[in-house]
Amino acid sequence: MERNRLLRTAHNLYKSKKLIKILLEYEEDNENNKIINSVRITGDFFLYPEERLDDLEMQLKGTRLAKYELKRKIDKCLNSSEAFGFDSESLSDAILGCLTR
Amino acid sequence: MIPKFNKIRLLETGHKSAFYNMALDQALMSNVKDSIPVLRLYGWKPAAVSIGYFQSLEEEVNVGNCNNLGIDIVRRMTGGGAVLHEHELTYSFITKKYPTNIMESYELICEPVIMCLKDLGFDAKFSPLNDIIVDNKKVSGTAQTRKQDILLQHGTILLDVDVNKMFSVLKVPSEKMKDKIIQDVKARVGGLNKTFDEVAIGLQKSFSQKFGIGIFKDNVKTDEEIEAKIVQKHKYCSYEWNYKR
Repeated sequence: MERNRLLRTAHNLYKSKKLIKILLEYEEDNENNKIINSVRITGDFFLYPEERLDDLEMQLKGTRLAKYELKRKIDKCLNSSEAFGFDSESLSDAILGCLTR
Repeated sequence: MIPKFNKIRLLETGHKSAFYNMALDQALMSNVKDSIPVLRLYGWKPAAVSIGYFQSLEEEVNVGNCNNLGIDIVRRMTGGGAVLHEHELTYSFITKKYPTNIMESYELICEPVIMCLKDLGFDAKFSPLNDIIVDNKKVSGTAQTRKQDILLQHGTILLDVDVNKMFSVLKVPSEKMKDKIIQDVKARVGGLNKTFDEVAIGLQKSFSQKFGIGIFKDNVKTDEEIEAKIVQKHKYCSYEWNYKR
């Protein structure tokens, strides 16, 4: 589907059990779906193995900014890892929170 | 599950730079033996801010103030938050044998630290995931990583805390809330008011007791030193690593 190329950036600070900071770049397609162009997730949380966060950020590119799709992608990517300080629910909310700030 | 070790290798490596400290932890991980974990006790000179693996240096640290105060900045290979390392003892425990459950492994290694603090007269308790508290104040924070089946846990034991200095080098999420945040931290974080040596001696005793084995004092080996120097230069001193996020 053709997208209009207007990139928007947004950020959010989300308090879960730890602090999650999101820097989001997204664009809208012709049907007004908001699609992730890039996302950077930072904070004082723990994730084992640590390298999985880079994979997750890559996997989220192209994902529609909708709770169900985000959560499903995060669950799948973090399937064999262990996170402390956030879960797929709170991380989805942290990312979506960028749209309301 | 308490792992069975033959003995514990103790390294007292003095007060060194942030870059060397992180590099030596990494070098020791790649040289640790099967049944001989390493207990390393050290300090930081000059004082330094370490940030967690997942943090953004620019978002967490006031780089200008650090430069003015001669405070180094380094990214850790472990998660968690930003820490000003000044009046503290830092320990590293590196082992090939540990519980696979992450929470259990934190508890296991924090336990001798708690035993040491109790011996020093404090009513210390484990506060999951990664803190030790005395009278509801955090006196120790820890962080872990696991690489190629080797576990590293490093932790700080606060001897004294200068919260105002801490917040001159660490950024706060909201400048408007800064005063309140500083007051909160003053109420929630505390130093032991003990010397480095008092805590160091206590830890040697408590780790030996916890695992029921002897401790032998050792020096950093030449190949470990060489590896640490290489890792220091190419990783922990590098812009790419420290500004990775």
